[in-house]
Amino acid sequence: MSLLEYMKGIWAARYFWWHLSMSDLRARWRRSFFGVFWSILQPLGLTLLLSLVFSNIFGSTLGAYAPYILSGMIIWEYVTTTVIGGASAFVQAAPYIKQTRHPLAIYTLRNVLTGLCVLGMASTALIIWVLVVFPENLSWSWLAALTIFPILAMTAWPWATLMAYIGTRFRDLPHALGLVMQAMWFVSPIYFETSVFRKGNLHVLLDYNPIYHLLQIVRAPLLHGEWPTAANYLWCIGTIAALTIAALLVGRSAEKRAIFYL
Amino acid sequence: MTNRILLQSVNLHYASVGFRERSLKSMLVSLASLKRERERIVDIHALKNLSLDIGPGERVGLLGHNGAGKSTFLKMVAGLYPISSGKRAVEGTVRSLFDLSLGFEPDATGRENILYRGLLLGLSPKFMRSIEEEVVAFTDIGEFIDYPIKTYSAGMLVRLAFAISTAVGGDILLVDEVIGAGDANFIGKARKRILDLVEQAEILLLASHDFVTLQSICERGIVFHHGEIIFDGSILGAIASYNRANGIATD
Repeated sequence: MSLLEYMKGIWAARYFWWHLSMSDLRARWRRSFFGVFWSILQPLGLTLLLSLVFSNIFGSTLGAYAPYILSGMIIWEYVTTTVIGGASAFVQAAPYIKQTRHPLAIYTLRNVLTGLCVLGMASTALIIWVLVVFPENLSWSWLAALTIFPILAMTAWPWATLMAYIGTRFRDLPHALGLVMQAMWFVSPIYFETSVFRKGNLHVLLDYNPIYHLLQIVRAPLLHGEWPTAANYLWCIGTIAALTIAALLVGRSAEKRAIFYL
Repeated sequence: MTNRILLQSVNLHYASVGFRERSLKSMLVSLASLKRERERIVDIHALKNLSLDIGPGERVGLLGHNGAGKSTFLKMVAGLYPISSGKRAVEGTVRSLFDLSLGFEPDATGRENILYRGLLLGLSPKFMRSIEEEVVAFTDIGEFIDYPIKTYSAGMLVRLAFAISTAVGGDILLVDEVIGAGDANFIGKARKRILDLVEQAEILLLASHDFVTLQSICERGIVFHHGEIIFDGSILGAIASYNRANGIATD
């Protein structure tokens, strides 16, 4: 089956995956008092806690350090939940897969979309914080920060799909992935400031780290009022291309056979 | 475009890994074990060298003992199971009635589940709203349609599942033993509805052990025996062949 036909199949099933995402969101906030606002409160609360600790350790001011952590947290949270959730996406969707023939990628698209909605909510907290602390940063470059949404979606979708193909066959994957993501978090400037890495002469962990470049797309405009660099975008596009190719290669045989492992 | 099912020497194997070593641990253990026992569980050869041509207007009954390959065959025609060799060409929209209660959302109401099932089948919300009332009327479960389906009795679930699944037809209808659900009153209604659906469909494949139903609906019969087709012809001949193959005495 050609890629074009595959994409057509995804489009044909649009009502279905849209419904799946929306029902995930509804289930998430069902019967809770704050409902949707938990998506804002949760990262905000954690950020306050962390920045209190870290700003003392690293000697930076709380007001400036908090949006740094918050931006890292909500984006990394999106990546981990989508990818780890994606690893068991086909298993979760087994009743549907056994019944109808839709492209399997719609079941990871479900996680991608649900996550984007949550991220969208959470980012309002970030924007408000920055507007209060660094009003001088507000500029046209903030438009560039918006590109994080399509970039994240295009990164997480093939990645989650790839993990789903493998995770259907090896059910250990979601657990192992938790460990891997933790390790990636540790070597990336997600909570730790870039200066910490530079001081330790660990330039490699920044300049050759796609996660650093991904985060810069939001951080350069919001935290410094600057445009992200071309290198930032090239790293992101390269990552998207690599993950997409990997997912396509694995999917060529795994797509059809997944039903046997469910 | 005419609706047609064309199979040329189709083989289907179930991947044994699907039910053997599932975890990384057991795979590593089997790699590390010195004995290197030969795999005792091999891929299951579920469909063996099938060749068929089913054209428009045909009503085909599938017979066979349990595990003969009827359901696998239907799922293969529906495109759910990949074939391991041969050629499979199915032209026309396929609608299948297999396991009706799969994919229900227990927290959602009956009415919502009607919509969800429709979306699963690739229909638009607009179309689903247009047929909703008809489906609700058919289930005949009164005000329960607006209750979450986790509160339903088994019989009510069956009614709902049946009503939704049979609301929309297709060119090619695949049915796997679904006739005969619910109480006596409902069975009568269900039967009529299935027959209506069959009328609309260009091609029907019906797997069943109910000879009376098979004879009343189908003209052509195919008998499966351990994954092979041992008979393909008139439905009466198929029933005789099935009885012979399974050692059932007939009078």
